[in-house]
Amino acid sequence: MRKALTLLVLAVSLFSSALSAAEWGDLKLTFVYDGAVPAPQPISVTKDPQFCGKFDLVDEELVVNKENKGIANIVAYMYTRGDSAPPIHPDYAAQAEAKFSLDNNSCRFEPHVVLLTTTQTLVLKNSDGVGHNTNYAGFRNPAFNDVIPPGGTLEKKLTVGGERAKVSCGIHPWMSAYVVVHDTPYGAVSDQNGELLIKNVPVGTWTFQLWHGGSGGYVADVKQNGKATTWAKGRLEVTIKPGMNDLGEIKYKPKATR
Amino acid sequence: MVMMSKWMWRLTPLCFRSHKNCPAADSGIPVLAMKNMSLCFPSSIRTLPLLGRVVFALWLAAVVGCTTKAEFSQNAVYILKQERELDAEFSDQQKRDLAEILAGMFGTPDAPNVPKLGDVEIAKVLDATHLHVASGPVSSDERGRARGLYREHCAHCHGVTGDGAGPTASFLNPYPRDYRMGVFKFKSTPEGGKPTHEDLKDILTNGIPGTAMPSFKVLPNNEIEALISYVRYLSIRGEVERELVYLTADLVKGERLLKMAGTGRSEQAASLREVAAGVVQKWIDADLQATPIAPPDADRDLAASIKHGRDLFYGPIANCVKCHGDSALGDGQKSDYDDWTKELEPTNEEALEQFLGLGRFILPPRNIHPRNLRQGVFRGGRRPIDLYRRIHNGIDGTPMPGSFVLKADAPAGTKGLTKDDIWSLVDYVRSLPYESISRPPVIEQAYQRERL
Repeated sequence: MRKALTLLVLAVSLFSSALSAAEWGDLKLTFVYDGAVPAPQPISVTKDPQFCGKFDLVDEELVVNKENKGIANIVAYMYTRGDSAPPIHPDYAAQAEAKFSLDNNSCRFEPHVVLLTTTQTLVLKNSDGVGHNTNYAGFRNPAFNDVIPPGGTLEKKLTVGGERAKVSCGIHPWMSAYVVVHDTPYGAVSDQNGELLIKNVPVGTWTFQLWHGGSGGYVADVKQNGKATTWAKGRLEVTIKPGMNDLGEIKYKPKATR
Repeated sequence: MVMMSKWMWRLTPLCFRSHKNCPAADSGIPVLAMKNMSLCFPSSIRTLPLLGRVVFALWLAAVVGCTTKAEFSQNAVYILKQERELDAEFSDQQKRDLAEILAGMFGTPDAPNVPKLGDVEIAKVLDATHLHVASGPVSSDERGRARGLYREHCAHCHGVTGDGAGPTASFLNPYPRDYRMGVFKFKSTPEGGKPTHEDLKDILTNGIPGTAMPSFKVLPNNEIEALISYVRYLSIRGEVERELVYLTADLVKGERLLKMAGTGRSEQAASLREVAAGVVQKWIDADLQATPIAPPDADRDLAASIKHGRDLFYGPIANCVKCHGDSALGDGQKSDYDDWTKELEPTNEEALEQFLGLGRFILPPRNIHPRNLRQGVFRGGRRPIDLYRRIHNGIDGTPMPGSFVLKADAPAGTKGLTKDDIWSLVDYVRSLPYESISRPPVIEQAYQRERL
């Protein structure tokens, strides 16, 4: 028994030293709108106009930066169907059970896209003075629809990965957001400049899933280094080298937003 | 015309009868025999001349699409939805694969199969004997034991596939339930959970007030049990189909869900069984998930409770007023859709046209309206416990959300509804139909005399 235990400890320590010896690289993508920047579409506030009318709300299904044409809210996460799980960089351990909030703030969802892993927690909040409800159109995880009163918070665990769910508010029909649940910690959402950075990916060849909720699906037809390319099913295979792996500007024109 | 519609009504469900077993109530003689199926008309058919019978039969076959063999239809809406959203294009081969995998797991409407799913105790929710009794064409054996119960009682509204699009569906408002999404509205489990066995039994025995769903209380218990099993079967099959469609949409060109031969096939088959096992497990779990409900304080001051419920109704924590309206007539908002209808993208004209173009079994979208609380008709039941469940858990698949319930260990001053708050809401909702403005206006005696 003791012998077996010693062997086990030895095996585990060998395995973990192999891990710590692994090398890691960062992946950076910058999404740029291909064409003239569309003007933001104002929302007609049909409910709670006294409160929600104050905020100059615009449609956020497609958010393009006026200055540098960066496209926000594009999601990239490691696609691991049928493959063995990748080694996890120790820096991610602290985030394994992190909580991410989806706030009803100024009659819109903040942020527009929440990306979380199956071990993390989604926290629904309402920072507004009016009541909201959060309707999560889940498919792999059970759907839910809860009233969130002003100041209320509610925690949700989403334990099945590979889900991209739309979130809406039944009271304020213009409100929409997306929750993406994935299996590994390797994922990111593009920011206001269209930049998306995934840190400490193990060196090697990996597939990433690219998805944009507002344009209705996979980011597939793009221009990379000025050349038109199709990433079948929005999947991009990248060989990660140690250090920064900057794929540069990716030009993308989403299908007409709904 | 009245005659015609009466005939239509009586004849439509008979389409499913098998001629060998036309019951005594019918003429016993098939009017239109095709292979193993035929149309048996009620004995009153004898009042029609022969030519009339044949014309009726042909008309009926054309209208309701009688076929000799019942088949499950594919979820064309969900396939198109994936094609639209995920830039997928389903080849004929992929569609055939889907049908074959499903038939392998679940069998056919005439010979349903309980899939073997390893450790998952599927027998807890699907009973092979029950399925046999509920499935197949309508008939009975020499001892009078019925078969084909689903087609006798349910299929004309809910469809052979359980897609809520049977021949009579388009005449009904609300439309019959499509089971295939695996979502049920009136149940005791928390949001996202499946209904329990008792929940389905309640619906079958009591019907759904305010809808076309009747009560089947007169059926013997074993037949009710058979139908519960069969509804679960159709729902599980439908949800597995959706998962498989989703997986197919995820494949790159040339890949197949299940290789027909060669290496890797058994692993693929195992992963498909896992998909089905996941769906079945949710049904097994549901029977232990009913939301526990503590009864209200029997000595409460009812008038005070109703007043408290009214304050909550208009307040920001329960927020009922936003949808049910200032007057509780269900007119706070009327532009939303339920989740079944949302699949057709009803607010996107171009998409909707594509979906409706799939065939006559796609029913035109209708808005879902919040309940008019002044009529006293509640689809999920009018007992206090029914209303408590609707308010506490919300109604799955609809815009009705679950309540923001205060946890037992919440610090003082935290916002949220307590159990007593919800009972007060129940008391208030139950009082609404009896408020004076809920009643029809009194017509003055003098005016009535004038009309006479």
